[in-house]
Amino acid sequence: MELSLSSPYVAEYVKAQTALMQVIDPELSVNIIDLGLLYGIDFSDAGKAVVTMTLSTPYCPMGDAIQSGVVNVLKACFPDREVEINLVWEPEWNYDRISESGKAQLGLI
Amino acid sequence: MTSTPIGKIPAGIAVLPFYGTAAVFFLVLCVLMLLAADELTRHYFSPHVLAIVHTAALGWGTMVIFGAAYQLLPVICERDLFSIPMAVASYCLLTVGTLLMVWSFWGFRVRVSLIWGGALVVASTLLYGINACGTAFSSRQLGIHRLFMMVSALWLLITAVIGLLLAINLSHTFIPRPHVDVLKLHAHAGLAGWFLQLITGVSAKLVPMFLLGKSKKTWLLYAALLLQNMGLVLFLADGYFNPITGKMLWYAGIVGLGTLAWLGYLVDTYCHRLRKKVETLMRHTAVSFGYLIAGFILLPMAYHAADVRWATLYGTFLFLGWITGIILGKTFKTLPFIVWNIRYQQLHGKAHVPLPKQLYNERLTIYQFYLYLGAFSSLVIGMVTNETWVIRTALFLWLALAVIYLVNVVKVLFHKPVFHHGTIT
Repeated sequence: MELSLSSPYVAEYVKAQTALMQVIDPELSVNIIDLGLLYGIDFSDAGKAVVTMTLSTPYCPMGDAIQSGVVNVLKACFPDREVEINLVWEPEWNYDRISESGKAQLGLI
Repeated sequence: MTSTPIGKIPAGIAVLPFYGTAAVFFLVLCVLMLLAADELTRHYFSPHVLAIVHTAALGWGTMVIFGAAYQLLPVICERDLFSIPMAVASYCLLTVGTLLMVWSFWGFRVRVSLIWGGALVVASTLLYGINACGTAFSSRQLGIHRLFMMVSALWLLITAVIGLLLAINLSHTFIPRPHVDVLKLHAHAGLAGWFLQLITGVSAKLVPMFLLGKSKKTWLLYAALLLQNMGLVLFLADGYFNPITGKMLWYAGIVGLGTLAWLGYLVDTYCHRLRKKVETLMRHTAVSFGYLIAGFILLPMAYHAADVRWATLYGTFLFLGWITGIILGKTFKTLPFIVWNIRYQQLHGKAHVPLPKQLYNERLTIYQFYLYLGAFSSLVIGMVTNETWVIRTALFLWLALAVIYLVNVVKVLFHKPVFHHGTIT
């Protein structure tokens, strides 16, 4: 997820991104930000936070747990907003989406 | 939460009892081997060896594979498990059926109890087959992994039905072929049809996930499916209508080529992996493949040698080397995840929770690996040299291995979150 400093919601993005680093893919032991699973968050609706994200595979056995984690941390951050997840498969996730930090945690570099 | 359909891990009741019961059966297997240590190098058609083989094949191998399959079918088929009640029923039937069969074989009670045991196992395999095929058919496309799951389930049912017919044949002879010859067909339908093809399909899916690797040579898996089935069908057809002779080794060779195609796929995945460090549990898997190849190499010796020890050694390489090795390695790559999902899924992100790999004792898995290598090597040495004291020593190592495996499985199964000052430890 890329941050735009001109966005009116930059403070929310930063807060959300920091919180989402607590959500770990239990299988890989790396947080979903470093894995590149998060594509964006829409705060434009005052009562909602709509998360656009993917999973490493459509049949990821940890999919429910990861989504629970996203909802839990964002509800804690934004108690006034309802959290919705928009799960997408395009663009398809691949290893190139993993950050340098994530690759280091996985022992890939 | 999203409503986008994603593969779901089935409820714990469809999976966990299989793992726990299999670990107990593994301990029972090691105790039975110790009790019958003197008989392990004699002819395999004996009450105690038959009891041991069925404990290994049904109580240990099939039991844990059923549990793993019910967990993995939704992952492989991208659909929820077809029926959880059917999975639970298959567990009850397999457990009672196996207990009856092992008890019957051990005391050579070949009438009612053995036949009932066999019938319950057939019913269990039928339910498993319906569940596997039902899940696979409801998925969007029939990929190679799903084909392996369905074909192996069919072979399991065939194996169980032949086994039941053999059990009936022991007390009411009706099969017009020598009992021991049909026993060979039964054993190989199970080994090359059920175990080999199930493991081929599942490992072709899981190994790339664990290694973060990918092979583009999917054609190798199609070749594996074709060759493994071609060799087995030829063997069963020829072996039923004709005496089992040396030409059957050609059919084993065809299955062997199919096995090499599958291993070639895994090697290619390994060469194209991102995760460079190979952990202990994956080494278990790698070693088990070596034992499988050794089993194929031993087959001509088992056929030609007059000494039945070689046939027993062939079975030992397959059951205690290959199948046991792969189960020991894969248990802690699958079981902790479903327990973690049950205990922590809703808490994820709310509190500090342990990772799935922290649910078992990692140090014990390292001891388990070296104990397995020592136990297997010493058992093979004992059987080759025909030294009973070496075999007994090896079996004590197997017993120790079964105990630490059981302890670790129990640790995962009965894991409970501990709340401490607002965090979970």
